Amino acid sequence: MSTRLAAMVLAGGKGTRLQSLTKKVAKPAVSYGGKYRIIDFPLSNCANSGITSVGVLTQYESSELNTYIGNGEKWGLNGVRSLTSVLTPKETEEGSNWYLGTADAIYQNIDWLDRVDPEYVLILSGDHIYSCSYDPMLRKHVASGSDCTISCYRVPIQEASRFGILVANDKDEIVEFQEKPKKPISNLASMGIYIFTYKVLRAALIADHKKENSSHDFGKDIIPTMLKEKRKLSVYLYDGYWKDVGTVASLHQANMDLLMSAGTTNLYTVQGDNRIYSEDAHSTPQYIGPSAEVSDSLINQGAQIFGKVRHSVVSGDVVVEEGASVVNSVVMNGALIRKGASVLDAIVGPDTLIDYDEKVNEERDGIALVVNGKAARL
Amino acid sequence: MNQIIGLLDCHNSPELGGLTYSRPLASTSFLGRYAFCDFALSMFSNAGVDAIGILVKDHQRSMLKHMGNLMSWTNNTKIGREAIFYNERGILNPAYNTDVANVKENDWVLYDSNATTIVIASPHVVANVDLRPIIEEHIANGEDLTVVYKPIEDADQEFIGAYAYEIGPDGYVTSTGKNAGRKKKANVSLEIWVLKRDLLFEILKAHERVDMSFGFRETMQYILEQGRLKVKAAPWTGYARRFDSFKHYIDYSFEMLDRKVSASLFVPERPIYTLTHDTPPALYGAHSSVSDSMVSNGCIVEGRVKHSIICRDVRIGKDAVVEDSIVFSNVAIGDKAKVKNCVIDKYSVITARHAIEGAEKTPIYLKQGAIL
Repeated sequence: MSTRLAAMVLAGGKGTRLQSLTKKVAKPAVSYGGKYRIIDFPLSNCANSGITSVGVLTQYESSELNTYIGNGEKWGLNGVRSLTSVLTPKETEEGSNWYLGTADAIYQNIDWLDRVDPEYVLILSGDHIYSCSYDPMLRKHVASGSDCTISCYRVPIQEASRFGILVANDKDEIVEFQEKPKKPISNLASMGIYIFTYKVLRAALIADHKKENSSHDFGKDIIPTMLKEKRKLSVYLYDGYWKDVGTVASLHQANMDLLMSAGTTNLYTVQGDNRIYSEDAHSTPQYIGPSAEVSDSLINQGAQIFGKVRHSVVSGDVVVEEGASVVNSVVMNGALIRKGASVLDAIVGPDTLIDYDEKVNEERDGIALVVNGKAARL
Repeated sequence: MNQIIGLLDCHNSPELGGLTYSRPLASTSFLGRYAFCDFALSMFSNAGVDAIGILVKDHQRSMLKHMGNLMSWTNNTKIGREAIFYNERGILNPAYNTDVANVKENDWVLYDSNATTIVIASPHVVANVDLRPIIEEHIANGEDLTVVYKPIEDADQEFIGAYAYEIGPDGYVTSTGKNAGRKKKANVSLEIWVLKRDLLFEILKAHERVDMSFGFRETMQYILEQGRLKVKAAPWTGYARRFDSFKHYIDYSFEMLDRKVSASLFVPERPIYTLTHDTPPALYGAHSSVSDSMVSNGCIVEGRVKHSIICRDVRIGKDAVVEDSIVFSNVAIGDKAKVKNCVIDKYSVITARHAIEGAEKTPIYLKQGAIL
């Protein structure tokens, strides 16, 4: 079976800066937007781009993520001409190997790619939030005859030193790549989304694998080497909503971006024609109680609100009891906010119990994170 | 439970006024998120009944749309099967378009299967009966027929026209007739029957001989009267409502806003499955105010909602007021519009500043696609 474009979704990262949220699950499996997990976004994008061969590379705390991905059915990636494979590190004739870097993870699955036999390979990150079709990017890659096309977006120049920065000429060809430059001369930040012509990628990965001092990373090794070798690399400018949620505060902000008060960025406008697919939780209808106060919020099916919820994102099977208050917060699946409790500027993790009259972040010191799993044991 | 076929019998569904003009009761929306057939189908799923036949009487299109890939209620997607039973010729002679005729027309499902037991349930009786022990007992005791009933004390108001049973001390039915509302106490049928395969074939045969206009209920009644059948009665004391009129549809819908009532239908150990629409969570605007209501995913609420049930993908504009109403999917209610005591069917539009108010006991029904 040959295919035009195969997608490889890098979903093995730990997401250390998300603290206890990623203690037991990988970052791509973290809850987002009341209903979704972060990986729903890249996988829905694949589905909406007509991609039928998707490999998801997992490593850190992978069992929940692997189960979630399954055969790709949640995103419709299980049709007759579809293939969704969870690709975990494995024991081989050469021994057993963890994925050492993003490029090494793909290298270790060259066999899988050879079987799929794609003309082009799309490399994605499993923990980015955005909704788009990859089709225009592929068309540009093919039309320009590039070996690699890197999706990028414009950042304020004063922030550019936090990113991998691309310098392109007037033909959108990349002339320079700077990883977190002190003095950036461009504001085109790489999104870590690449389309490679598979033959070129395959050779580059094999060469990189043999290099002893390589960190086997796309940004640090593969791209600089290809530039050195005068390969044709191009930029593709993306101007939609895109978020890489690395920290508790940025995950909180990305949730708040979905609210109506945030302006144009919410799941209803962000999605456009590209629907985001997810798991159906078979939960009961959402109920808002007689004395509840709900405003400027996103609330999922299965939630029961009897107290106050303002400027917040609330997942399914959450109960906010009468007299409890949730303000400017994210409450994840199955959490229970007891009577008299107050949650302010916080992320409340899955199945977390906020007990009677408990005050979370009353002093409003940044974004608080509470994860205790106690509600599941009640 | 591979040895069991579940049949969802949509032939005896009552009309729910305008709601069932263009769709069967089975696919009519309930609580914003469900169709009536979901409850019986989920009872099958939760009891591990994986071979399911859906006896469609009419409005096949609407049923097919809701049934989707015919896999939403099966446990094993290979072994499990949901088959649509449709009596093609029934349309020529509606009086004879009975559930028995439909099963005869589609009897390949029976011949394909070596099932020993058949369970029949109906979409218009909403309950979340734990069928597993009832079926197990039926099989273990070698019963011919087990009927599931609910003892009620308001039979003069509820379950009118449903079968009611007199039950002996041994738990077997001694006599049966329709509940005409004469008494307050009655053991009313939840229209769930567990029967032996042989009995089903006996019914199919008797049907030809006795009266071709008879359905399962009448034919079983006939066999019972002949004294050839012992009928075991299995009680169910949990939530059960018979949706048999537009008025009852409204009463029973609003009744679900009471948490105690809804907790008696929605039990965590037996979830109700339905078709997923992949809609995002409900979005509330900065000045929204919502109380005592069910709101489905895909809704954008910027106005006020009180004591109402809002289905998926509904828009409620700024300063709009929706009270004591049921709003079906894909309805748009404009800014400053006012809706009270209404049932608004799918794809309708209430334009900005428009006000519509029904009387408390007799809500206004707006048909699908209405524009006001």
